[in-house]
Amino acid sequence: MVDDPDARVGVDAAHLDGCAQCKSQFDAIADDARSIANLFAVPEPRVDVARAYARVTEGGAKARPAVRLQLPFGRPLQLAFVAAVAVVSLVVVAFAASGLLFQPTKVKPVAITLSDIQALSQLSDYGTFAWTKEPSFQVTANAADASAVAGGLTPPVVSKLPAGVSTTVTYGGMSQAEATFTFSQAKAEASAKAQGKTAPKLPANVDGATLTVKVGPAVGEVYGNINQPANGTTEQVNLPQLIVAKSVAPSVSSTQVTVTDLKNVILQQPGVSDELKKTISAISDPNDVLFIPVPVEYANSSTVHVQGVDGVALGDNTGVGAAVVWVKDGHVYAVAGTIKQSDAIDIANNLK
Amino acid sequence: MNVGARHMNVAASEQQAFEALFTAEYRRVVGIANRVLADAHEAEDVAQEVFIDFHRLHSAAADYAPAWLHRAAAHESLNRLRGARRRQKRELAQAMEEGERTLDPQKQAELAEDRRRLREGLGRMAPKPAAVLVLRASGLSYAEIAKALGIGIGQIGTLLRRAESTLRKEVNRGTSN
Repeated sequence: MVDDPDARVGVDAAHLDGCAQCKSQFDAIADDARSIANLFAVPEPRVDVARAYARVTEGGAKARPAVRLQLPFGRPLQLAFVAAVAVVSLVVVAFAASGLLFQPTKVKPVAITLSDIQALSQLSDYGTFAWTKEPSFQVTANAADASAVAGGLTPPVVSKLPAGVSTTVTYGGMSQAEATFTFSQAKAEASAKAQGKTAPKLPANVDGATLTVKVGPAVGEVYGNINQPANGTTEQVNLPQLIVAKSVAPSVSSTQVTVTDLKNVILQQPGVSDELKKTISAISDPNDVLFIPVPVEYANSSTVHVQGVDGVALGDNTGVGAAVVWVKDGHVYAVAGTIKQSDAIDIANNLK
Repeated sequence: MNVGARHMNVAASEQQAFEALFTAEYRRVVGIANRVLADAHEAEDVAQEVFIDFHRLHSAAADYAPAWLHRAAAHESLNRLRGARRRQKRELAQAMEEGERTLDPQKQAELAEDRRRLREGLGRMAPKPAAVLVLRASGLSYAEIAKALGIGIGQIGTLLRRAESTLRKEVNRGTSN
């Protein structure tokens, strides 16, 4: 009624006119509102919309990337390890692949250092990476829309949120994506030469071989505000309180490469730590294992039992960051966020 | 149509939708930030950041787009208001703006002081009532505020009244001291 004079009609208006108490209350409220509105008054800014649009599109909003994967460097710790897990798991999955088809049914943590990540990233010099089907990622307002983007895969339902986690939820879906990596001795030599080095020799059957990696479709939900910088600078991008995701287990197929060949390629890579070499050598049958690379500088890992299967838990109980990953019935699940590890395990076990 | 061409079409229509959203909402988003910061340049800065953030993560065709932008503008500008370093600069800019007008200098100084206190009080308020107040002062309807902040429309009036009363007391307390 204070805001809208038209609302002051009929029974209410008649009551106000006759009731001194209500009238005085109403007058006080109206007075507050007028006074605040007066103090809030500012000159209307002169705005050039077209110029502002040009500035915004030139300044980075021009092309919306299909998938946002950002490197962890210079970001807060908790984001660093989640991003590292996401990025490096694809690399390790690709290179731990074997035979004709790899589809994990189990998860296993592999300790990895930042120098290992750098060493393994040099493997991209050994061939050519290409998307045969690019992933398209879409943030949606509800679960049904996310499911539609992900070809019908339904987002997992969190039945028990820990206290303090926001109930504001945003859904997302990703279509299935397919990429190939074709090994090339010639390319390896060219890039090594450019750096003044000699490329290690690829096994004969690896040169020219193609790995086909399929990831997704995937769906998930984010609790809390996504990517709301506290002060507008990129250094303060916050990890959402909770991310829950489900993806069809990635698969890798190859025309002619065996797991021994790939193990050898990784082992002869300069810069790979003895620790990782030892772990890789000890892998006897990686055909059905999804390796979760754990950046040892940032996170602890342990094996946990969730949803009746063995999973990997990362992080700790400080609430800085924790994640649980497991594979069940052909799907990979992940629960991650700025929560305690015990809460992450609890959410995982109560996921519907 | 091959995959590449379809991607290009999707990207083009997304860009068109973003331009339409920008044209429709930019003025209002700047208005919300300016209401909080009383600094047109900084308000435009906030608005552009909010649009860039939105564009990175969301589809411009989403029906929640305007609500998302309004909320983000209110929160981002309130966050900046709380930043002590910027406050000085803003006060100076506002003082100069006020000084240019030709009213009674004594009254003008009092009004400027009250406005400074209003924004100081706003910066100290809990985020939700502060955002309700700012969005209402920027001309949003109760329904639009409810949508932007994800709260029931029935709560807006009460939140608004309480926030106005709290803020006025803060301004008056400063005046009487």
